[in-house]
Amino acid sequence: MKRIREALYIGLFDSLPLLRDPMLLIVLSMFSFLPVMFIYLFAGAGDTFNASLVGAIVLSLAFVGLFSAQSVYFNKHWFRFQDIFVASPVSPISYAIGLSVSTLIVSLPAVILAMALLLIGVPRPIWDILAVVAVSAILWIATLMIGFAIGASTKNTRRANSLPQVLGIVLGFLPPVYYPLERLPGFLQPIALLVPTTHAAELSKYYFGLATIPDWEIVFGWLYLIAFTAVMGLIVVRRAHWVDP
Amino acid sequence: MDVIQVEDLGKTYPRGTVALRDVTFRVARGEVFCLLGRNGAGKTTLLRILATQLKPSTGKATVFGHDVVHEAKAIRARISVVPQEARPQMMLSAYDHILLMGLIRGMSRSDAKARTKEIMEEFELWEHKDKLTADLSGGLRQRVMISIAFMMSPELLFLDEPTIGLDPLGRRQVWAMIRRMTKQGVTVLLTTHYMDEADKLADRLAIVDRGRMVFLGGVDEAKAVGGNGMRVIIEPIARNDGTREILSPKSNEEIVEIVQRGLDQGRRVTFQPPTLEDAFIQIVGGSIDEENS
Repeated sequence: MKRIREALYIGLFDSLPLLRDPMLLIVLSMFSFLPVMFIYLFAGAGDTFNASLVGAIVLSLAFVGLFSAQSVYFNKHWFRFQDIFVASPVSPISYAIGLSVSTLIVSLPAVILAMALLLIGVPRPIWDILAVVAVSAILWIATLMIGFAIGASTKNTRRANSLPQVLGIVLGFLPPVYYPLERLPGFLQPIALLVPTTHAAELSKYYFGLATIPDWEIVFGWLYLIAFTAVMGLIVVRRAHWVDP
Repeated sequence: MDVIQVEDLGKTYPRGTVALRDVTFRVARGEVFCLLGRNGAGKTTLLRILATQLKPSTGKATVFGHDVVHEAKAIRARISVVPQEARPQMMLSAYDHILLMGLIRGMSRSDAKARTKEIMEEFELWEHKDKLTADLSGGLRQRVMISIAFMMSPELLFLDEPTIGLDPLGRRQVWAMIRRMTKQGVTVLLTTHYMDEADKLADRLAIVDRGRMVFLGGVDEAKAVGGNGMRVIIEPIARNDGTREILSPKSNEEIVEIVQRGLDQGRRVTFQPPTLEDAFIQIVGGSIDEENS
């Protein structure tokens, strides 16, 4: 209980500046909804539009996960709050969970809006919705791990700011997140399957009945997401230090 | 009883930089212990090791009798730190910072609110309580960071250059706060570049240079390093009428001799008590000479 309380207050401490000045929340929501708006304008309300809403969920979560790099970096090297927490009874797990929860608060408006629009457009049974939530959660954790690894490794403010943005484009806009996998030329499809957001988007579209994918791809998608998260987790464990070496 | 015990402590960073070599000292309960040294001398490295933020490479350090590496948890409940160049979140108020730190460290909401008010009043921050720290002066921001450290009433306080950016009055407020805390038995380890700060606050001090401890002792002992510590200045009575000599006599006989000479020449002779800055320059200068030889 003590650790949960600790984590929630750290989350509040980290996210309160954003909640006080919600411009970034609006920008993030607009970022992930911009392709949705274009698709609505050109394709109208239909399966393509609904599929783009799945893209908005995936991109919102991927973005905030990657941007945890900034929280980690700035709390360690700029504000030095990490040093204050290290020299206190706060546990590193609470600290990591706190920063993670903070990113979730930032992404929730966009995710809830996209999810609500999807459920209005394509009502689904609760198990399918839970599957989408699970896929989203794994993707969020995976991108958090990437963000933590970047934030813990870099000692350069510019890199801590620019890397998540570049990776956001690589993971969010280039792979088939807003558009179907089949739209990619055949030789690019296997490459797209190396990107975790492709699997998250494909699986979510599948559970919302917006795409048909073979059984092997469903199993492979889940396994790939879990394995990717585990590998990123191992990298974070190696790169991030509570007590500096 | 010693709160801090350090024996042959050394630190080499993973990329090979040697930051500390064979440092040994003790700090007693209620003592203000100052670490002085040039930039990059190893002061912050030493403070961070003792505050359980950094692993040492060699030697041993204990705080409250607990090993800083293996028993860090037992230490952390009893200490607070103001890291060097720490700064508050611009979009949070001073009140948010102090209150949330109390809550994060496990205080109940009502206790945290009461303590936040008490601390903010002591640091004269209460009138700024609702302002965002972006709207506070640099000195007030620094006071917020120090208030965070005082929030939990620690038994041992680590302050890494805590008064940088404060105006003279702000610095004196921090000094007064530190003195009040030491009267209650709190031990303080602080690093500073300000010699007057060390002079006013330190019960004992250590001078660190290139990772080695080159002096350990009281302020007066440091001042006496260059002999009796007294400086004698012989200068013309009228301005621009000859040269000004600043001499550091080593014995009473030498003082008498200098005074006699000055008076014979019809010049003004004044005595200047030794300053910590002179001692620092002499000690660190000596260590530089040793390194170069």
